[in-house]
Amino acid sequence: MRSLLYVSALLSILFARNVSADKIKSQHFDRVVAPLLAQRCLSCHSGDEAKGDLNLSTHDSAMKGGESGVVIAPNELSHSLLWEYIESDEMPPKKPLTADEKEILRTWIEGGAVWGTESIDAFRLTTDARAGTDWWSLQQLQKPQLPPVTRTGWTTNPIDAFVETKLIEMGLAPSPAADRRTLIRRLSFDLLGLPPTPSEVDAFLADTSTDAYERLVDRLLNSPHYGERWARHWLDIVRFGESNGFEYDQPRDNAWHYRNWVITALNQDMPYDEFVRLQLAGDLIDSDNYNAAAATGFLVAGPHNTTLPANDVMRMSMAQDELEDLVGIVSQTFLGLTTNCARCHDHKFDPISQREYYQFAATLTGVTHGQRKMQIALSDDQQQRLTAIDARVGEIALALDSIEQPIRDAILAERKRGNEAVQVPPVAFAAWEFDQNFDDSIGSLQGISNGDARIEDGCLVLSGTDAWVATAPLAIDLREKTIEAWVQLNDLDQRGGGVISVQTLDGATFDAIVFGEREPQKWMAGSNGFVRTMPFNGNEESEATQRVVHVAIVYLEDGTIVGYRDGKRYGEPYRPRELQTYHANQTQIVFGLRHSPAAANKMLSGRIQRAQLYDRALSDEEVASSAGVVDLNHVSQTQIIARFSPDQRSRFEQLSADADALRSEKESLANLQTVELYTCVSQAPGITRLLKRGDVQSPAETIIPAGLSAVVGVNPDFSLAADAGDADRRLRLAEWITHRDNPLFARVIVNRLWQYHFGSGLVTTASDFGFNGGTPSHPELLEWLAMTLRENGYRLKSMHRLMVTSAAYRQVSTRNVQSAKLDTDNRWLWRKSPLRLEAEEVRDAILVASRQLNSTVGGVGYRDVRHFEFKGSNFYESIDESASDSLRRTLYRFAPRGGHNPFLDTFDCPDPSTTTPRRATTITPMQALALMNNDLVFQMADKFATRVQREVGETGTTVQQINAVYAHAYGRTANKSELDLGCRFVEKNGLASYCRVIFNSNEFLYVP
Amino acid sequence: MNAMNQNSNRRGFLNFTGNSLTGAALASLWMRDRVASADAVPGEATGLPHHPAKAKRVIHLCLCGGLSHIDSFDYKPELAAFHGKSMPSGDRPATFFNQIGLIRKNDWEFKQRGESGLWISDLFPHLAEMADELTVIRSMVADSANHTPATFEENSGFRLNGFPVMGSWVSYGLGCETDELPSYVVLPDARGLPAGGTINWSNGFLPAQHQGVSFQTTGPVIHDLFPARDLSMEHETASRELLEQINSIHREATGDEDALVARMRSYELAAKMQLAVPQVSELNQESASTRSMYGLDREETADFGSRCLLTRRLLEKGVRFVQLFSGGSFGSPRINWYGHENVKQNHTQEAARLDQPVAALLKDLRQRGMLDDTLVLCTTEFGRTPFTQSAADNIGTGRDHNMHGFSIWMAGAGLKPGVAYGATDEIGWKSVEKPVHWYDYHATVLHLLGVDHERLTYYHNGIQRRLTNVHGEIIQDILT
Repeated sequence: MRSLLYVSALLSILFARNVSADKIKSQHFDRVVAPLLAQRCLSCHSGDEAKGDLNLSTHDSAMKGGESGVVIAPNELSHSLLWEYIESDEMPPKKPLTADEKEILRTWIEGGAVWGTESIDAFRLTTDARAGTDWWSLQQLQKPQLPPVTRTGWTTNPIDAFVETKLIEMGLAPSPAADRRTLIRRLSFDLLGLPPTPSEVDAFLADTSTDAYERLVDRLLNSPHYGERWARHWLDIVRFGESNGFEYDQPRDNAWHYRNWVITALNQDMPYDEFVRLQLAGDLIDSDNYNAAAATGFLVAGPHNTTLPANDVMRMSMAQDELEDLVGIVSQTFLGLTTNCARCHDHKFDPISQREYYQFAATLTGVTHGQRKMQIALSDDQQQRLTAIDARVGEIALALDSIEQPIRDAILAERKRGNEAVQVPPVAFAAWEFDQNFDDSIGSLQGISNGDARIEDGCLVLSGTDAWVATAPLAIDLREKTIEAWVQLNDLDQRGGGVISVQTLDGATFDAIVFGEREPQKWMAGSNGFVRTMPFNGNEESEATQRVVHVAIVYLEDGTIVGYRDGKRYGEPYRPRELQTYHANQTQIVFGLRHSPAAANKMLSGRIQRAQLYDRALSDEEVASSAGVVDLNHVSQTQIIARFSPDQRSRFEQLSADADALRSEKESLANLQTVELYTCVSQAPGITRLLKRGDVQSPAETIIPAGLSAVVGVNPDFSLAADAGDADRRLRLAEWITHRDNPLFARVIVNRLWQYHFGSGLVTTASDFGFNGGTPSHPELLEWLAMTLRENGYRLKSMHRLMVTSAAYRQVSTRNVQSAKLDTDNRWLWRKSPLRLEAEEVRDAILVASRQLNSTVGGVGYRDVRHFEFKGSNFYESIDESASDSLRRTLYRFAPRGGHNPFLDTFDCPDPSTTTPRRATTITPMQALALMNNDLVFQMADKFATRVQREVGETGTTVQQINAVYAHAYGRTANKSELDLGCRFVEKNGLASYCRVIFNSNEFLYVP
Repeated sequence: MNAMNQNSNRRGFLNFTGNSLTGAALASLWMRDRVASADAVPGEATGLPHHPAKAKRVIHLCLCGGLSHIDSFDYKPELAAFHGKSMPSGDRPATFFNQIGLIRKNDWEFKQRGESGLWISDLFPHLAEMADELTVIRSMVADSANHTPATFEENSGFRLNGFPVMGSWVSYGLGCETDELPSYVVLPDARGLPAGGTINWSNGFLPAQHQGVSFQTTGPVIHDLFPARDLSMEHETASRELLEQINSIHREATGDEDALVARMRSYELAAKMQLAVPQVSELNQESASTRSMYGLDREETADFGSRCLLTRRLLEKGVRFVQLFSGGSFGSPRINWYGHENVKQNHTQEAARLDQPVAALLKDLRQRGMLDDTLVLCTTEFGRTPFTQSAADNIGTGRDHNMHGFSIWMAGAGLKPGVAYGATDEIGWKSVEKPVHWYDYHATVLHLLGVDHERLTYYHNGIQRRLTNVHGEIIQDILT
């Protein structure tokens, strides 16, 4: 018994010791082995597509081995293929393991290859090949300690303390402050994108107060031109362009509202978080607000392909390409993350999984390109006029009624006596009853069913996926026409199905009754390339699933198109262009399909009870009659007019003309009130699936819309269902991105501001804070700036103020040979980097010097291109832009993707098809040619000369003229040798030629 | 319009006479190698070539609209047997317009040509005579059957707007052999620009000097090449001297700022370009027989012939990359390789414009010994389907887009001549043997230029971008 107890105790001790030994080993694995595997092996050997089919990220898969069989044999080093590869330096392929690292794996295998936590998180730790979730930019903001001030007298605000500390560390010293002339020129270009005027320079020089500089900064920040200058930076980032790009490259005439909104928002100093929220979800936050709708122009600022293949796979693949582009712009702009790189596989460099790409993308699938009509408020005067018009129109209506009423009564009385026959429905050209077959019961337009189209209960039944009916060709030419159908729908969410369509035999030209194509739940007159399609602005359909509705469209000789629902006008008629002629033997009718060739997105899901075609335009009464909704008490105006006496007729005409005039005035007021803008149109987002290797033909699991887990501090779970609506998705995304605990949100924007002020960001890759991006030159400064921005309520103007009032900013830009040797790129800010004017600033500065700038802020842009359509594609050819109304700031240039301005291009004006977080600055002979030879430069040189001549007067000397040129162009007076040089040249070649040379000079183009 | 523009309109492209700016040419030479400090002319790749180059320069003939491979370079004897039948596999293929008619045999007869016995159809009788110079790839594959994304992919490796095209990449990587002309020149079809206009020669995110410079057929050859006004030579020289002096005074104050010095030098280069461009565009300097060989004397070949001849002259002067477009935008009537309605009629029209000039270009380059270090590329965004684009029971006359299999050809430096590489299936529908993607083609072109496609990179938004994205296998089998 005793011995038994002893043995048992011994056993239990031994057992416990074993357990604890394994536990120690497993902890060792998690602490030492797993990080090594993660750092050195998992970038290839993990996930569904692990190389050699070997997945080392979980215990089971690691022990299972790969294509070459088992690779880890516990306790048996010589049988472990893994060891063989590692020992021979065959793996990892590019950089073998160090002796110490090998030792870790050797002892691990020899010790039994005990595993720890089941799955190794490959994203947890940063390695020399990729960033983990411990990457610097993903961490919470930490307020840094302010460095002690070491060089009294230089620092003006905390920025300088950080800069100075770094300079000392690097063995550098700051440069002295620049003079006032330099400072006002620098500030003016930096904050407004415009040079200071000579009187502004003089005023600043004369201002002896101690806060003269600060007050100048405030004045400039309050100028409306501030918003213009900084909007240009923003538009670079969001790749704002004003045409679709791709094959058709259609112009976006109404895209400028977005640019306008950005200018206004910046001028108002809108908090940055609100600025971003509105761009992501303004349409959802305030659905009827013009400004909010304009803000979401951000979501549709990029290219968009409208050349759609009939093939579904091809269309889906194109949609995924555009979605990737959108994910990229959202994620890079606000987070500095290249989430778009994880579409086909886990991100190669940052801790973003492929699944997370689809989660993120799913928040944006409700975004589509489109136009919206919005109401904007009228002025008080306009409002009063509107009231007056309404009152007068009411009076006229009463007066007309007093003429018409006796006649109407008479007609109704006659009807009662049976003197006038009840109107019979008009006779159609062709009619399809769909009782037993697809035949035309009047003429010979027999239909043939396609797909699973069939007759059931006296209706043509259409599945919506593969069912349509096409008739024999028409034997006559068709111009004016009416098409109508009695139709019931299977669902109201369907988009783009055709009820009845008149089309050429190839389907290339057509006019059709279409449901929900451009606007959900609305009827529209469909046509090829929407050439005869505009919104009727009728009500959204809500009944057609419960009962049969009658829908008709009348096409009049003058091109007017009138829609009807249940015999009544549906919205408003419109006249898009000329009536389409359909030729005999080349035209047919199709039902259930918008037009040929057949494709699922053109199919109607529902049933058609009857349909008719007329070879003429029916009147309102006739449509009503055909719809079977004739009101026996209704007397049409035509009937009344026929019975007017001559006096009545002239009085009627006079009153009608007055009313028409008033209505058209009201309409133009209403047009003022209604603006159409190119912006995001929200659609049902559908269900997102993960696509293996990004391939639309390999859908995998369903994805729930969510944020990125790599961003520490903000919960990526949006608590959404897979089928959540667009509103929930985008609002959550906007909340998540702008959340105060999102560290990237503030870091990225303060770095952008720094870049534009100083020429280079603290992080040089402004839209990439991931592994491939740069690391901050002054990490504590970046933290401090980000925290400060957050604390001051995300006000950008106060951040500008902080930066430009720093001593670092106010340094001279003069080259210091010693410092340049140590730090050529001026990364440590031993001086202010001189900057070349950007393309827009070059043109603007020329216009200012020549006093030709039209400085109107905001509104529609100017066009320096001739737009023409050629064989369906749109082209934009450069034209002379000297007409004075076009001499606005270059920011307002209409920017089609297919039509750049060659002059601006040479100065690195970016391609609006691609995001430009930082512009290149190149120097090329093409640039020299442009500035020497462009017509605008000559014209402006003339104007500059004229201006100067006028200023100095007829008695003015050449010296005075040259000094005036220097004042306008450089903000200073000329020195003796410059005057001598100038006088000699001007006297021989004229002042205008002199001005042309000045425009080409380095001093004109570089801001010190 | 002012006097200048009227004047420049008189200076036609093909009768461009040397402008009187001779005196303005400034003495100092300024070759690219002498831009010693890299930051003086930022934005050029360094460390190139990566290996000895076989080719020094490139001509790219870009055929817009989709050349029917089975009617030109991909001989499919089986097609005749399948004529009037549906797809042998019984599949319903997916195409752009989804109208799948019956199979149609080739509309042109194929013959074996030259000593190599390369199969080329009668669509290109002149080019067929140069068969022994051609390297045909018959197993091309693209990712889009939509013209513009497919054309973007053909030229930039990506289907979206905004990526640099190959000409820009080559310019970025290798610069120009001359400082008098742009490194990447584009010669659009006289009938109009391809759809998307200038997007097709975009530098994307590469620095601006790598944008394709389009030589215009009317007006000045290059935008702003000459002053918008008529100025005397004396006046222009004085202006340039004044600029030099003003900048020098400024330089004293600022110190030797690299950028400022480079700007001063850029005016010297500009002056040289003003001399060189009109000279190189002066086709009348060529002999009558040369002009005739290129087809300048016949209406249908004059446009493409002039551009081919100009191409040779540009290359002789050291231009790195010349891209010629055959065809403009889409729409009716057709002005590119757009055979939806009627391949026979459309391709006859287009081939007649290009066949003789391209054959002449190859012959001329060979005679001058230039083909040894010049690469000629002839590509199209995709091919055309073996079945017609028509009703299902019908043999139509047009063919739809085919991204699954099509042909391109290359010629010149470093290539095995007179060979065909890869194969499509029996009817030319899909590439089945050694498929070649655009990435592989791009990698191969760069390789011939001495460039490792994985090392020619430019940082943009988180990625060291490449022409070949993350793909690209060099087609070793076609290299000498």
